[in-house]
Amino acid sequence: MKLTAGIAALLVFFAVGEVGGQPVNTNTFVLLPVKNDPTISFRIWFKVGSQNDPVGKEGLAYVTGQMLSDASTQTLPYAQIIDKLYPLAAGYSASVSVEMTILSGRVHKDNLEAFYPLFRDAILLPAFTQEDLDRIKSQTINYLENTLRYSSDEELGKAVLYNDVCAGSRYGHTVSGTAAAVKSIALDDVRAFYVTHFTRDNVVPGLGGGYGDALVTRLAADLGSLPSGAPVQVPLSAPVPLNGFCVTIVDKDAPATAISMGFPIRALRGEREWYALAIANSWLGEHRNSSSHLYQVIREARGLNYGDYSYIENYPQGGMRHVPPQNVSRRVQLFEIWIRPVPLENGFFALRAALRELKSLVDNGLSEEQFQQTRAFLKKYVMHYAASTMERLGYALDDRFYGIEGSHLERFRTMMDEISRDEVNAAIRTHLQFGRMQIAIVSKIGAAFRDALLAGTPSPISYKTPKPEDVLTADKEIAVFPVRVKEENVRVVPVTEVLAR
Amino acid sequence: MHRCLLFCVALLFAGNVAMSKSIFPYTSWKEVLPNGLTVYLIPMESPGLVAYYSIVRTGSRDEYEPGRSGFAHFFEHMMFRGTKRHPGPVYDSLITGIGASANAYTTDDYTAYHLNFATEDLETVMDLESDRFQNLFYEEREFQTEAGAVYGEYRKSITSPFALLNEKLQDLAYDVHTYKHTTIGFEADIKAMPEAYAYSKSFYQRYYRPENVVILIAGDFHMQGTLTLVRKYYSGWTKGYVTPQIPREPSQKSERKATVTYSGKTLPILDIAYKGEMFDPANRTYVAAILLGDLAFGETSDLYKKLYIQEQKVEFIQASVPMNRDMPLFEIVAMVKHEADLPGIQEEVYKTIAKFQAHPVNAQKLGDMKRRRKYEFLMHLDTPDKVAGGLARFVALTGGIEVVNRFYTTLDRITPDEIQKAAQRYFTPDRRTVVVLKGDRQ
Repeated sequence: MKLTAGIAALLVFFAVGEVGGQPVNTNTFVLLPVKNDPTISFRIWFKVGSQNDPVGKEGLAYVTGQMLSDASTQTLPYAQIIDKLYPLAAGYSASVSVEMTILSGRVHKDNLEAFYPLFRDAILLPAFTQEDLDRIKSQTINYLENTLRYSSDEELGKAVLYNDVCAGSRYGHTVSGTAAAVKSIALDDVRAFYVTHFTRDNVVPGLGGGYGDALVTRLAADLGSLPSGAPVQVPLSAPVPLNGFCVTIVDKDAPATAISMGFPIRALRGEREWYALAIANSWLGEHRNSSSHLYQVIREARGLNYGDYSYIENYPQGGMRHVPPQNVSRRVQLFEIWIRPVPLENGFFALRAALRELKSLVDNGLSEEQFQQTRAFLKKYVMHYAASTMERLGYALDDRFYGIEGSHLERFRTMMDEISRDEVNAAIRTHLQFGRMQIAIVSKIGAAFRDALLAGTPSPISYKTPKPEDVLTADKEIAVFPVRVKEENVRVVPVTEVLAR
Repeated sequence: MHRCLLFCVALLFAGNVAMSKSIFPYTSWKEVLPNGLTVYLIPMESPGLVAYYSIVRTGSRDEYEPGRSGFAHFFEHMMFRGTKRHPGPVYDSLITGIGASANAYTTDDYTAYHLNFATEDLETVMDLESDRFQNLFYEEREFQTEAGAVYGEYRKSITSPFALLNEKLQDLAYDVHTYKHTTIGFEADIKAMPEAYAYSKSFYQRYYRPENVVILIAGDFHMQGTLTLVRKYYSGWTKGYVTPQIPREPSQKSERKATVTYSGKTLPILDIAYKGEMFDPANRTYVAAILLGDLAFGETSDLYKKLYIQEQKVEFIQASVPMNRDMPLFEIVAMVKHEADLPGIQEEVYKTIAKFQAHPVNAQKLGDMKRRRKYEFLMHLDTPDKVAGGLARFVALTGGIEVVNRFYTTLDRITPDEIQKAAQRYFTPDRRTVVVLKGDRQ
């Protein structure tokens, strides 16, 4: 192991060609001092993500991130790193998204001196050993081939949706890559990716909590020994405009039908219009919240599933969290509707019900009452988005990503007082629409679903228990709500082919 | 009505944790109303934010009647359907109006209702929460509709191989105790839930009583004012808790084994489970077992390094020694890359147990483990929600939070000999149930 690590070290240094450079300018740091916080939070942001994956090496950014956080360094083998971190109850991890890679760690102040060298060496002196790569690739392939395809139909649906909407661009693959591409990743790929992207010119260090000035100086000096190299710019490639409803049905032996759908939007956090759109979105589908109108229609009134939500920003692992994640920022966002698994016989009905509500929002906008209640809700609700220092630090980095002066969360609250209903309804008209949408469906009745979509077959619903008259009346409209799909816009894909290459 | 100061010294994380006498870093106040409701107030620095947890000491463990598995969880859903004074839509509207983050979850031993909100809304929340705990009201039609949402929750989860594995393991390992079923319940029982309207009323009457509930309020609030509100809103709640008749599990006589087929593709999963013991901070052997799980199979263990890092035969291996009111399963779970390796890995697990049964553990490793446990607990307490949420299981197990210090004091004193004794007591073939799960696709 030591010999291998030594060879890897030589290769890295040879490739870098230059170490011990100037300290990173501390003016570039994102700092969030919290005097009474007994812990210190690190978020070291490298401006690289899955959009930088070379063609045929999809997943390389993700694998490289794990090769920094969950692998040996030139100083210590992985097993010894674990041993040293263990009594500290501290650790570090890599989070890779489309445009951002974050090396984050948190430690109690008592343990900073023991923790810091381990964290530093993970970033500066990765060993890049074959055995670590084998282990990390194996986990990634297992996730792609088994976990994502078979164990959560809703995560699968979302992955298919994002890949389809962004097909043809560097956004058009899952962060974890494809099974075939990950299998092809070699150590040299990882080394080359690291040297190109993990440079001192491409890093934004974030520090939060009870740290002192000395740590800022120390971190700046240490990161200065990263190789130099300008950030690699990935041209922003706007997704191809959708031609009506485009549907991918993943055919698999699923006990229920999972649906995700959406289309690209141009609104980005920080812009006044985005906050107006956020009010409309919150009313339609606030995540994991009974205030969501879609939730009220599909779950609360009809009991068809566990929940129904909408989004104007990427929200990975939505089933595992209640408030938005940090550091998954991206220059192109989707408007997205997530319908959690519904009974097989109600798949088309649920799809129609959600689209009918979207159309109503697009056509009518928000009423004064809906507007007032939602903006009052959001003004307070956003305070739950970042309760801890680590979360606030994450938001501060995202502010840097989006070029927001001050704080997005503070601006969010201010905007809830400033924005008018007219602005909200104007934002709906500008950014939302009905009719051009990518739809991902995971179901075991793939062919039948396709046929029903193409024929516009009515999808009446019946209940084993009584329902109020207004629900039954609406059901009749939902059952025949027009969702016109052209034959060339529907494809049925066996699950074994999803995320394969 | 009485009050007492529980934790008089707030350490505020200062100094070396290993030297501390009291691990819980915040001062807390306890109030017990004449009706038996216990309330803990935990002020902490969290400008303008409060976390409010109502912990009902009823979970799937209490579902002892035939055909009622999953009912505690189902009932958690019904608690959002409102009262006559605050019908469901009004409750939702008021919670939305104050921008609260509100939710609930159900476990084997308890059900927790939790809200995070702004300090100025504390009275609104207390009014709403005390009302639904005392005056819940819903029509049969709403009840039946909610059963559909619960079935939806089952459907979204059951595609995971681990959901199937746990369902089969618990069913096999227990003969009569209610840990025989998972918290979500058997599918047949979930399907039949719409028929159980009358039963749901009885469930509420028996378990949603003040003696069976503990409220934790953490964050930024005025102590005296909050105590006044507690008395105002909860004093009228009447006693009436009925103890569930949970069958006692007989001693297991011999090893049990099963193979389960998962409809889909997965790497094989090996689950080796041993009947353990109920949570008791005074039972040093039990507390030692909690440390043993990590020492023998955690990421610093020899076996983890061998199977996960060096030989790379498993995608993961881990142990869990849970804290429960009754006898839980102490489990070692591994996801294995090649089916042919299953017998060898099983043998490695047994050899590791035998090693811990034969020799006391290295004292340095034990010290590292204790240190980690304490820092882990402390570092988790950085927001009101995490403080209240982190205490919830301790409350469910014992009815209070005092046990936290007792538990960590015992943990700090565990010796290598006691780790050996725990390995000898619990990890024996007659207590063992082994389930192997395999996918039906290649």
